[in-house]
Amino acid sequence: MSAMDWASARDLLAGRTAIVTGAGGGIGRGLACALGRVGAKVVVAVRRRTTGEETAALVRADGGEALVVEADVAKRAAIDALASETIAAYGGVDIVIHNASSALSGKTFALEDVNDGDWDEQCDTALAAPFHLAQVLFEPLRRSGRGRFIVLTSSQGLHGGAMNPVYTACKSAQRGFVKALAREWGPHGVTVNAVAPAALTDAARDYLARDPERAKAAAANFPLGRMGDVRDDIGAAVVAMCSDYWRYVTGQVVNVDGGYYTAL
Amino acid sequence: MAADASWLHGKRVFAVSVGAGLADAVVDGVADLGAEVTRLGGDLDLASAASVAAGIDAAVAAHGAPDLVVLSVIPTAAMRPDAIDAMAEADWREAAIEGLRTTMRLLQALGPHMKPHGGAIVFVAPSLSLVGTPRMIALSTLLEGQRGLMKSVARQWGASGVTLNWIAAAPRALAPFDGVALAARPDAVTIALGRAPDPRTEIAPLLGYLGGDAGRAITGATLMLDGGEWMVP
Repeated sequence: MSAMDWASARDLLAGRTAIVTGAGGGIGRGLACALGRVGAKVVVAVRRRTTGEETAALVRADGGEALVVEADVAKRAAIDALASETIAAYGGVDIVIHNASSALSGKTFALEDVNDGDWDEQCDTALAAPFHLAQVLFEPLRRSGRGRFIVLTSSQGLHGGAMNPVYTACKSAQRGFVKALAREWGPHGVTVNAVAPAALTDAARDYLARDPERAKAAAANFPLGRMGDVRDDIGAAVVAMCSDYWRYVTGQVVNVDGGYYTAL
Repeated sequence: MAADASWLHGKRVFAVSVGAGLADAVVDGVADLGAEVTRLGGDLDLASAASVAAGIDAAVAAHGAPDLVVLSVIPTAAMRPDAIDAMAEADWREAAIEGLRTTMRLLQALGPHMKPHGGAIVFVAPSLSLVGTPRMIALSTLLEGQRGLMKSVARQWGASGVTLNWIAAAPRALAPFDGVALAARPDAVTIALGRAPDPRTEIAPLLGYLGGDAGRAITGATLMLDGGEWMVP
């Protein structure tokens, strides 16, 4: 596998401002670092400032620009504040990426065992947050002229993962949200898409490292033979989606997963 | 073409309709196929998981466990077209999040009665979420969430012999959409059959198939009944 050629894309998103929710680790951190590498000003939206500062430090170490904003994206007031701080710092918003996910996403549930707390925790982040983000950030995205609204979903929502029915329902619901919003915002020049990634996050790496046989079996599910790097595979694809090269693509669910899900 | 009335003869059917009543005409057709239909919905207390379970338990006590459940959960807030930036948060929550929660609670309540002997659950919904509909973003979100939940539960309950499937019908075939101004152009693609299906005589027979013995090997599927409009991949 050849190394990702970042140098050729160095100024691809220069001058644009990107908000990434859930950017304190995992995929969100990879997205932030990728966006910073191609010149975007990155707003690292996180629940805990400490994790956000770690991400911002990585972005800045690569020569990028980052602003950390503490925000519980399930709450409208937090989104209002996120928008205000971003616009005050950078003058506008061109890209919104909703990546934040509940800590319960990876938990296994039988349907009969799901209680209201499990439900609220997952749905607030998956379904209330994108509603708030869309409401609050529509105008800046429209004014951008190159507005991009991207939701990180999951192939679980496509193939109907059995592990966590609430997660599966939420990720499938995000598809409906993206398709409908894409049609609503198309006349305003804002594209709306979803990404279903297969990412080798630190948590996934640790999990697979404890069981080499499972890791080998898991790799076999991917035609490319591996899960994606959060920055160089998932982040790079999202960077492309944010660029002018993807300006005519909207209402799509894009699987960035090494060929894992091919049933569409 | 007449459907085979033997498919549902003597079968117990629960028709659970919450909100918009999208499946009412389809359920009439299910009754035509010889099923013993119990209509539920307006009498269910949806306030909590316990109250939903109590309502389903009472229906089972009165009529026996269902062989087929026809499910349609569409809060009325989801049927009101509006731009997302003009939508009240309370309406979003009622339409998208609470509608989905109610669906989950109904499945939770039905599971203990269906898993011991198997059966079929069929959602009846408009097809518009598969292509997305502007000004009805909450409805699109709800429907795709329900469809994802349907697939997940189909996997969880498959070994128990309970199947779950999804019928995506042309909105124009469902009476509650008669007065709804859909923003999507109706002539965006050619409708192969040139018309929408009749819910009573052309959609209901598919429920008869899915709820009868012949349909036991189908689960987690989405079946488009839109006259060949979108032909999804």
